[in-house]
Amino acid sequence: MSDPSQRLLGRRAFLQVAGAAGAAAGCSPKAATERLVPWMVAPEDIIPGRPLFYRTACRECSAGCGVTARTREGRATKLEGNPEDPIGRGALCARGQAAIQSLYHPERFKGPLRRGAGGALAPVSWDEAEDALAKAIAAARAKGPGRIRLLTRLEPGSTGAVQRTFMQAAGARPEDRVVLEPLDPAPLRAASEALLGVAELPVVDLSAARTVVAFGADLVETWRSPVELARQLADGRGRLGAERRRLAWVGPRLALTGVSADRWIACRSGGERAVALGVLRGLLDPASGIEVAEEVRPLAPLVLRHAPAELAARAGVAWPGIERLARELAARRPSALLAPGPQSQAPDATALAAVVLLVNLALGNVGRTVRYGLDPGADAPSSAAEVRALVSALGAGEVDVLLLQHADPLGTLPAALGVREALARVPLVVSFALRPDPSTGAAHLVLPDHHALEAFEDLVPRRGVVALVQPVMAPLADTRQASQVLMEVGAKLTPPAPFPSTDPFDVVQARAAEHARAALGAAPPDLAPVHRAALQRGGYWFEPKAAPAPALRAAAAAPYLDLPPAPAPGARALALVVFPTPLRGDGRGADLPWLREVPDALSSVSWSPWLELSPATARRLGVRTGDVVAVATAAGRVEVPAYVSPGVRDDAAGLPLGPEALALLPAGDGAHLVWAGAPVTVTSTGKRTRLPLLEGSPYQHGRQLVPTVTAAAPSPPRPDLSATMYPEPVHPEHRWAMAIDLDRCTGCQACVVACHAENNVPVMGPDAAREGRYMGWLKVERYLGDEPGGALDVRLLLMLCQHCTNGPCEPVCPVYATYHTAEGLNTQIYNRCVGTRYCSNNCPYKVRTFNWRDARFERPLDLQLNPDVTVRSRGVMEKCTFCIQRIRYAENEARDEGRPLADGDVVTACAQTCPTRAIVFGDAKDPASRVSRLSRDGRAFRALEEVNARPAIAYLARVKEREP
Amino acid sequence: MTASDSFRSIEETVRATHGRPGLAYWLGLALAGGLAAFGGWAYSLIVRTGLHWTGLQRPGMWGNLITDFVFWVGIAHSGTLISAILYLFRARFRTAVYRVAEMMTVFAVMTAGLYPILHLGRPWFAYWLFPYPNQRELWMNFRSPLIWDVFAVSTYLIVSTVFLLVGVAPDAAALRGRATGWRRRLYSFLAFGWHGTDEQWRHYTRAYLFFAAFATPLVVSVHSVVSWDFAVSVLPGWHSTLFPPYFVAGAILSGVAMVITILVPLRRAFRLEDLITPRHLDMLARLVILTGLIVTYSYATEILLAAQEPASDPERSTFLYRMTGPYAPVFWTMIACNCGGPILLLSRRVRRSTPALLVICVAINVGMWLERFNIVVTSLSHDRLPFDWRVYVPTWVEWAVTFGAFGWFFFLFLVGLKLLPPVSIAELKEEAAHLAAHAGAEEASRGR
Repeated sequence: MSDPSQRLLGRRAFLQVAGAAGAAAGCSPKAATERLVPWMVAPEDIIPGRPLFYRTACRECSAGCGVTARTREGRATKLEGNPEDPIGRGALCARGQAAIQSLYHPERFKGPLRRGAGGALAPVSWDEAEDALAKAIAAARAKGPGRIRLLTRLEPGSTGAVQRTFMQAAGARPEDRVVLEPLDPAPLRAASEALLGVAELPVVDLSAARTVVAFGADLVETWRSPVELARQLADGRGRLGAERRRLAWVGPRLALTGVSADRWIACRSGGERAVALGVLRGLLDPASGIEVAEEVRPLAPLVLRHAPAELAARAGVAWPGIERLARELAARRPSALLAPGPQSQAPDATALAAVVLLVNLALGNVGRTVRYGLDPGADAPSSAAEVRALVSALGAGEVDVLLLQHADPLGTLPAALGVREALARVPLVVSFALRPDPSTGAAHLVLPDHHALEAFEDLVPRRGVVALVQPVMAPLADTRQASQVLMEVGAKLTPPAPFPSTDPFDVVQARAAEHARAALGAAPPDLAPVHRAALQRGGYWFEPKAAPAPALRAAAAAPYLDLPPAPAPGARALALVVFPTPLRGDGRGADLPWLREVPDALSSVSWSPWLELSPATARRLGVRTGDVVAVATAAGRVEVPAYVSPGVRDDAAGLPLGPEALALLPAGDGAHLVWAGAPVTVTSTGKRTRLPLLEGSPYQHGRQLVPTVTAAAPSPPRPDLSATMYPEPVHPEHRWAMAIDLDRCTGCQACVVACHAENNVPVMGPDAAREGRYMGWLKVERYLGDEPGGALDVRLLLMLCQHCTNGPCEPVCPVYATYHTAEGLNTQIYNRCVGTRYCSNNCPYKVRTFNWRDARFERPLDLQLNPDVTVRSRGVMEKCTFCIQRIRYAENEARDEGRPLADGDVVTACAQTCPTRAIVFGDAKDPASRVSRLSRDGRAFRALEEVNARPAIAYLARVKEREP
Repeated sequence: MTASDSFRSIEETVRATHGRPGLAYWLGLALAGGLAAFGGWAYSLIVRTGLHWTGLQRPGMWGNLITDFVFWVGIAHSGTLISAILYLFRARFRTAVYRVAEMMTVFAVMTAGLYPILHLGRPWFAYWLFPYPNQRELWMNFRSPLIWDVFAVSTYLIVSTVFLLVGVAPDAAALRGRATGWRRRLYSFLAFGWHGTDEQWRHYTRAYLFFAAFATPLVVSVHSVVSWDFAVSVLPGWHSTLFPPYFVAGAILSGVAMVITILVPLRRAFRLEDLITPRHLDMLARLVILTGLIVTYSYATEILLAAQEPASDPERSTFLYRMTGPYAPVFWTMIACNCGGPILLLSRRVRRSTPALLVICVAINVGMWLERFNIVVTSLSHDRLPFDWRVYVPTWVEWAVTFGAFGWFFFLFLVGLKLLPPVSIAELKEEAAHLAAHAGAEEASRGR
């Protein structure tokens, strides 16, 4: 043994070092912070890894669709429709799907804020905020009535009741509560009041209508209850011949609803009324021999005094088309004529609504497809005159306290109304907004409300429907439901407001008895189980007692039957047609990432406004798509990129509803807002921008990619692919497949947003959209016609991974990252993918997207991520999986229950939310499944069939009845 | 001049190329190295944050980098053609030029081989494309042309490197004698114990013949495999049975043009005019004409076949798009360079003019790069669904990587020139001896 001191590391030295290192490790600060807290008592109902569903209702628009919220480990991850709800019937629109992003919006207020002396909003405590509000209310009440105003969205339920009680306690008059619904078809209400004596909106039921005529009523996008109306329309589709429900679109611009239409009567802006008068004339013309309702008959002389040629000239279309429409409506009863929508809401829209109502009456539609007596009367939007009165009161300094409850006057009303200046004159503006909107910029006190998914309330969107809103998860931040704030502030007043408690839950409970009595016909002996069942179901639904049919006051109709004004001769100005899109609605919630990321179905533009100009107009102005044009009206001037589209008349220009449109719109002086017809001058600025467009070429270039069928040719041509040298691939158990009925598809994009939500599809932003790097797995391919400059023939093709039997992507992948499973799925294995991108090159459908960079899910939007789906990293390919996680979930459920999978057990996110049920998913191995039956339909075709990839998706061709 | 005199002069001339480099060499090396470093830095952007630096998008998922890959694989082809096939055919003129061609081959394959890795979304997993046993029991997909590529390119790299080194062994031995220091060690290594014994010569000629025979099919197969990257797809403009012969001809065209592009300045700079004579250049130029005409024929065939289709056919549409769409300048420049250039060379006067030959060969190199761009990019951006059509424009990062590759190639080449004999000493000597023997025999017969 050598000398121990010579050794590199002796025993002692080793122990010394080891001891020191151990001690150092023990002292490291990291060691103390990590602590695992076992879940000793697990929360009730929550099983990790299993979804838990809650029923609630959607508050994104006033339709009131039921919602089934899927939660995982205590957080909502996906919203789906409530299949039991009579309005949505399980479907949600794009905005309803995106509502969850406003729950997790990164900009949501974390607590109450007060504007300090420096002008910045600073956090305060709830007690302070409520005290301040109570003091201000008390001071304002002392000054007399009208000093306190409330501007709210339509609240037909418990929240509205709380608001009214509060306002009363605060000494306000009923008219001090103003209900702002910018897209409310107020002219229809006014016309109903004038002609029928009922100031309410009819509920439209298209399920009986054989022909539907929409005079600018964009029922696919935003009109009244889009999910319900689109479904009812589509339920009469998908068949050939006379039984098919037809739709005609009347307006200067082909809206998305018009794409679903069989006929576009392209009248000039403001000419809708002349078309309607022409239809009425056609019906009342004694020469035609058409039978019309007796009550309308006395009006015949007033209508027949207008010469057809004159009406046609005022409408800007040829007379035969109008006359043919009248004859068709006479032959195909009942029908439904809908007006007005934003695109036909010109200054004389009340007259349009009145004439259309007369046509409905003449054809006997009222009571069958256009039903009065279903308005719950719980709440009604204020007229534009009332809104203007409020603004002028604000501007005159007559108001001390203005409460804004989910009403954003700066972001949803025309700037010409002068709301900004008026708000500046109000000493205390209180906003209950969830996150910053234009109006919170003027607010002095921000009292952030709960999101609807965190709140308790009830809604009565119409008689017979009570939707119950309940929290699906604990609030994310220190927010308080606005009703609760109002009740708490009310309790601080002297005398206190008559609220039995300050808990919104109690309000809903207290109102439940009334709902249960209405639903059951009698008060239930024990309310608790009844209400509990209703909460589980999502609401109370019942057949309301029929109201007596209102009678026409023929004398009142006379003023509406005058000849519409003629277009000014030689006017060079275009008519501005402001249209809401299905993604952005009236502007509230338009900043949600999914809704900005998903391209508009018609223009394929995302992240940017655009001005639709016809090719002739664009030529005249010397602009192309992407050129920035200056748009000016009497009210203002904005610069937007042009989008050249043959879907707009030469004398009109279309602009999506948004800040740009609001800057241009006139203030108006009538009882309703004016969205359409403002004269606008468009000039080229010489600037150019890269418009974020999804489309490459909007033409089919003779390739017959999206065939249509007629009764004479009921099947699209299909190639003969019987010759093959290869054995048929074997799918032992299932072969997952899809059928998409293009006769039902409206291009509403609900499926696209649902796919984003279900599959963690990232939002990449406007630059990525400009670069062609949109990540959506699903896209609406829209073709405008066969060749550039040819006839307009819009066809939609919903494009997603076709899960081909001979997938061209599969053999070219060098690492088997994409392959064909035994269930027929074309799967993509993200962690095996090296990113050669050959699969995309070889995909004839170009449905694969590549992660060019790492996606960002800004906190807390990441809480929405579906834990069953991998978040993809950069460098890998991804695409539609047919929602494989939902397939596995359904398979596991069936196995747990010891039964085989049944048809309909597996529903992909897109099929689940499709308002028109155009998408059907199922097992093609089961010959009785719906998807198998639809695939065998005569209208079925496969996309790019000649490539012989043998896709699993069968498209059912759109029916196009050619006019004789 | 006796045989030994000429042997000495050959050796001297070749050794002179290895002399102390001049300023021009250093400048060239610095330029090439700088370009390569800049390209490498640009590429590091892609590795660090993703391929969003490129102009790629759906549907154009391949662009400049794949164009570069095909281009460099093509360049690599002429080396083996000149050294192996022409060796088997006993084409004398190859002797003077084949070493440069072989060096070019190896360095071009080394350049090309980078691209399949560079263009991956996750290049750090490039090794997954190789068959290696792993505990996850994952294997590659032998049906994928990209796997065929991996094998083709790696085989080609190995074979061409071995072929180059076998040829270098006798020359390294010749240079070893006068070399000192690290050069001596290098040549000793490269000589592989060569002493010039009869037995070694016998083995050497056998081995050389064997490698030539072994490499010959690769000339055809490697670029055929590369063409299958496109031909086996279903994309209009790619899906064509014409591609393998068309690609091989194009590869040889671009390769020979590149050899000429390099030889013309090289023989000037290193005073090799005596060894690489105008006759050698003329023979190479004739090779350019032959392959250029094959390429022209292929273009015509493709276009005529597409033109027969009905107007709605995607194939026809793609070809019309190439000729008239946003990429039309690329298409017509390609036609001018690759069809016009070789046709100009048909004139003996043009062919014999070294500057004209150089200009035409550079133009052919540009044209052949554009040809690959034309194939890769235009087909992708004009696929079957018009809704997806989009125009791809390379970004500065892709151009940096493209030009960086030229820097990398010329950097390797310049270093190689100073280390390896740019012409084959042994074969030149053999030829000189052969000539001398002939001359002696003739003199003897005349004297008789």
